[in-house]
Amino acid sequence: MREKSTTLYIGPQHPGITGNMMVKLQVEGDTVVKAETHVGYLHRGFEKLMERRNWLQSFTIVCRICVPEPDPNEENYARAVEEIEGREVPERAKYIRVMTLELARIASYLLWYGGQAGSAGLYTMPQWSVGDRNYILDLFEDLTGGRIYHMYIWPGGVRRDLPKGFKDKALKTMDYLEKRIDEYDKLLFENSIFQKRAKGVGIIDKNKAIEWGVVGAPLRGCGIKSDVRIDDPYEVYDKLDFEVPAMEGGDVWTRALIRRFEIRQSINIVRQTLEKMPGGEFYNKIPNPMKWKIPAGDAYVKTESARGEFAYYVVSDGTNKPRRVHVKGPAYVHGVTLLENLLVGENISDVSFIMNSLGTCPPEIER
Amino acid sequence: MTDTLNKENKLLEVLKEEFKLLSGKVKRSRRVEVVIENEQIIPILLFAKERLNYIHFSHMSCVDWIEEGKFEVIYILWSPEEKINLLIKTKVAREGEDLPNIDFIWRQANTYEREIREMYGLPFDGLVGREEFILEDWDEIPPMRRDFITNEYVSETYFEREGREDAKDVREQILGRTDEKLPDFAKKYSRD
Amino acid sequence: MSFFNLKGILSPVTALKQFGKKPHTVGFPEVSIEASDRYRGLHFNDLDACIGCGNCSTICMNNAIDMIQLDGIEGEKGDSGLRPRVDNGRCCWCALCVEVCPTGSLNLTKEYNFVSTDASDFLWTPGLSNKDKKDKISFVSDKETSLTEYTRVPMRELDGMERIKSFAEAVLGYNEEEARREASRCISCSLCTESCPDHMHIPEYINAIASGNDADALRIIYDNNPLPEMCGKVCTRRCEDVCAISVRGEAVAIRWLKRYATETAKNADIIKEIVNPEIREANGLNVSVIGAGPSGLTVAYYLALRGYNVTIYEAKAKAGGMTYYGIPKYRLPEESLEKQVGYIQSIGVKINFNTRVGKDISFNEIYEKSDAVFMGVGYEKPWTLGITGEDLEGSLQAVTYLDAINSGKEINIGDKVAVIGGGNVAIDAARVARRKGADVTIVYRRRIEDMPADWEEIEGAEDEGVHIMQQGIPLEIVGKNGKVTGLKIAHAEMIPDPNGGRPRPKQIEGSEEILEMTAVIGAIGQEGDYSFLPEEIMKQLKIERGRFVVNEGGQTNLSKIFAGGDSVNKTADAISAIADGFRAVKAIDKFLNK
Repeated sequence: MREKSTTLYIGPQHPGITGNMMVKLQVEGDTVVKAETHVGYLHRGFEKLMERRNWLQSFTIVCRICVPEPDPNEENYARAVEEIEGREVPERAKYIRVMTLELARIASYLLWYGGQAGSAGLYTMPQWSVGDRNYILDLFEDLTGGRIYHMYIWPGGVRRDLPKGFKDKALKTMDYLEKRIDEYDKLLFENSIFQKRAKGVGIIDKNKAIEWGVVGAPLRGCGIKSDVRIDDPYEVYDKLDFEVPAMEGGDVWTRALIRRFEIRQSINIVRQTLEKMPGGEFYNKIPNPMKWKIPAGDAYVKTESARGEFAYYVVSDGTNKPRRVHVKGPAYVHGVTLLENLLVGENISDVSFIMNSLGTCPPEIER
Repeated sequence: MTDTLNKENKLLEVLKEEFKLLSGKVKRSRRVEVVIENEQIIPILLFAKERLNYIHFSHMSCVDWIEEGKFEVIYILWSPEEKINLLIKTKVAREGEDLPNIDFIWRQANTYEREIREMYGLPFDGLVGREEFILEDWDEIPPMRRDFITNEYVSETYFEREGREDAKDVREQILGRTDEKLPDFAKKYSRD
Repeated sequence: MSFFNLKGILSPVTALKQFGKKPHTVGFPEVSIEASDRYRGLHFNDLDACIGCGNCSTICMNNAIDMIQLDGIEGEKGDSGLRPRVDNGRCCWCALCVEVCPTGSLNLTKEYNFVSTDASDFLWTPGLSNKDKKDKISFVSDKETSLTEYTRVPMRELDGMERIKSFAEAVLGYNEEEARREASRCISCSLCTESCPDHMHIPEYINAIASGNDADALRIIYDNNPLPEMCGKVCTRRCEDVCAISVRGEAVAIRWLKRYATETAKNADIIKEIVNPEIREANGLNVSVIGAGPSGLTVAYYLALRGYNVTIYEAKAKAGGMTYYGIPKYRLPEESLEKQVGYIQSIGVKINFNTRVGKDISFNEIYEKSDAVFMGVGYEKPWTLGITGEDLEGSLQAVTYLDAINSGKEINIGDKVAVIGGGNVAIDAARVARRKGADVTIVYRRRIEDMPADWEEIEGAEDEGVHIMQQGIPLEIVGKNGKVTGLKIAHAEMIPDPNGGRPRPKQIEGSEEILEMTAVIGAIGQEGDYSFLPEEIMKQLKIERGRFVVNEGGQTNLSKIFAGGDSVNKTADAISAIADGFRAVKAIDKFLNK
């Protein structure tokens, strides 16, 4: 008997991702035959807003492009402005930046733990990981004055130096998290249900992955070593000791394993930066922000975020406002062309599971 | 410094030999930029992908240079082997010209092109895809064009909250207290 | 892999051991957790420290901050009287307002709980709506992290010992790069314009300099000041006293920036080309101006632009008044003044030099043939010290001395000179005497910090090796054979004023001593000399305490006669004279066109 095709709308609000996005599915039985991504539920227009704000005012909104991990945005924006202007950043600031980025990566992965497990119906995991993420947010609060939006990495360096006692507190938190991640393994990775759900689902073709524009953990999950921190090192990543994992498979399970490995590595990098951090200045002060002009020019900068390569293309026309700030998050490709293709042939119940494994983040598509 | 930019310079040489570049430079390590006529876009992209192995399509952006009446479109490619980002720039008239569709080379370019079409009103020849991507029932000019002024649109479309009418301008306040008269030509230099 | 993998089922169960552990989430009933020491919570503004510059409101890209008038806070010089009010519905707590606050009055607090069902409650004034939260401030503006630039671009000048070898200009002026950098420190709050007697458009011309448009800067400057280069070099710059940045740092170098803008025009023709003033058609009305000092030149320039036929009568050979004859050339070179006067003449102002009214031409003659007369006659006559020995050779007054040197005459003062006084004129005389090779001591009744002279001038004098004796009261000039041989002084102690005024010097008994001197120069003030006025005018004209009594437009009780400058105002500086002149222009124009 021929199955009838039905149209199904997932979203715009659903638990698979942060932010609003709708996926319109054509399903036959339980199987997806066509998927189409619809965005347009956020209406923010940051890129447009930045054209009318001066270089410093723009800094405060870039972090809002991503809730779970705002820091790569700040980092990209700051680094692009510095590159066009030719502004030097003190060594200490570079270490603080790397530490901040890695803390953000840990926080983001913890949120991913929750989302990935939650979308498989395992609800203890989100309670744990989101609770533990709070410890990172506490560190951010001490460091930057904000828990979610840090507005900390800005052109010229960072906004404030490490507060008193921060190093000890951060190291303690890292020790705690490392222990917790062992417990996560028992709860999630050794869990039969998760293994059953994740293995062989949402497979990305290794041969096509690069061409399709896949980046970050999904690409490394196809067995391709690719990481901006190594390929196009920024700040002080070339002075730190870490490894890029790569595993063959291309499915949700491999991507999860990659992230499991990387969260430990990030903890390790945070420790390294805290140990190696030199003294000195943390900020190369900018001139009066209202009259701060950047010479004409453009820069394309990239940062490895928890979801993959996060890039900014920034153009200055020599005035005190940016001509163009183009934000490209990994979800711009992962959430649209890749997701649309990946969902075909999958089970409906795996849709948000796959979406989450790609790190889909609608605010990156609709900036 | 020069010897560390060897591979970048080499890439530039190869492209210079093969194409008539309007300009080309090594921006820094791992960043090479070339400017080219827009008819050459498909040949250079195919050449970079097939022959030079720039197989990863990183980014595509558009900048409105309204003063020149041009859009600048930037294609950014990445070579996983060379580890270089190649920026290919071209300019196209804001009105009456289009660019070729390239989503048969990289299918994710489709998303970028749809967005640029919607946000700048720049058509791509042969682009298939829903007209509406991010916007919904939009009948103003494409919003990322420089002549779309956000503040004006906002003040026409929305109302200000009540209770803030008593706000004063510091300059006006000081002017009001003295007999200073600010000439019109100087006003553009006042704080905005 | 089998679904019934035993490990896969048992491992998750280990989560049960978490049971009974104390959770780290917020407990119930809810406890309010103390935020971190750097938390970016609700704003707090120290209303007394705030000067209402509005920089917070400008940087806020969410338009969350309004500047509003509050009950009980009045504006004054250096305070706009406005205070920020935050729309917490729009605020994103980026704290840029804190980072750019020049005074450091605006900070964020640890407070983050603010709940109300009334939307209008979220519109509140930090420091007023949360008066008691001063001890809760957390994200603070300190000078190290503030985005205000507190340090001035240093001015290059000749070395002190080099300076005393000649009358070459001591201050070298900013070059283009330095000027742009210094101009970009300005936050354009405009508090300075109120303090400037002439209300020059300071934020506008500084902004023009910052954005690289020197020609526009010059045009803006010439809008109400026809002698800007003079001001750029020697102005008393009351503007810089109230600069918002000066609260915690060094004021923007407003004077040097004006100097920079004016020096971009190298001669009178270039000034004319840049300023390109609109000169109205001749209206047939005649205005005479007595004295080519700052106020007279101002009246002449702006009236000539308005189509009046203006003639200046100047007793001396050069225009500029005190700025020519009173200010030493190392501060204001002759060429600079000539350039500015040349430009004023080029737009049609006639100056009759060497024409002393009352001697070379009678006041009545001028009075009869003019539709209005402006008197900018200044304070020419110096006060004497009023102590014995002032008739000795070698005892003289600073303005007389400066006048002689500036006119190219020589006065023998010997090699050991005392200058009595603490104003700019005293410093000028001392530094000139130093250039003439004398060993100079300034004797001042009070302390150095009480001196009315510019601190830069005092420092300059010290760099050049001028000694400053503070708390010294001159008692007598002693001499021999009709020549000065010394100055008898007494030392003083400072007695605090019970009414809170500045402390007064009191002579210490028995502290008298005689300092060996070859000359004693008094610099304690001047007064007007109105002997040029005919008796019948003198009788009618209202004069109080040596000053003409005028209305706000500079008009005397004789409606055709206007006056301005030192003989009218009490501030006795060039910029006040220019301001008087500018007000008189408007009044004369109104008077003759009613």
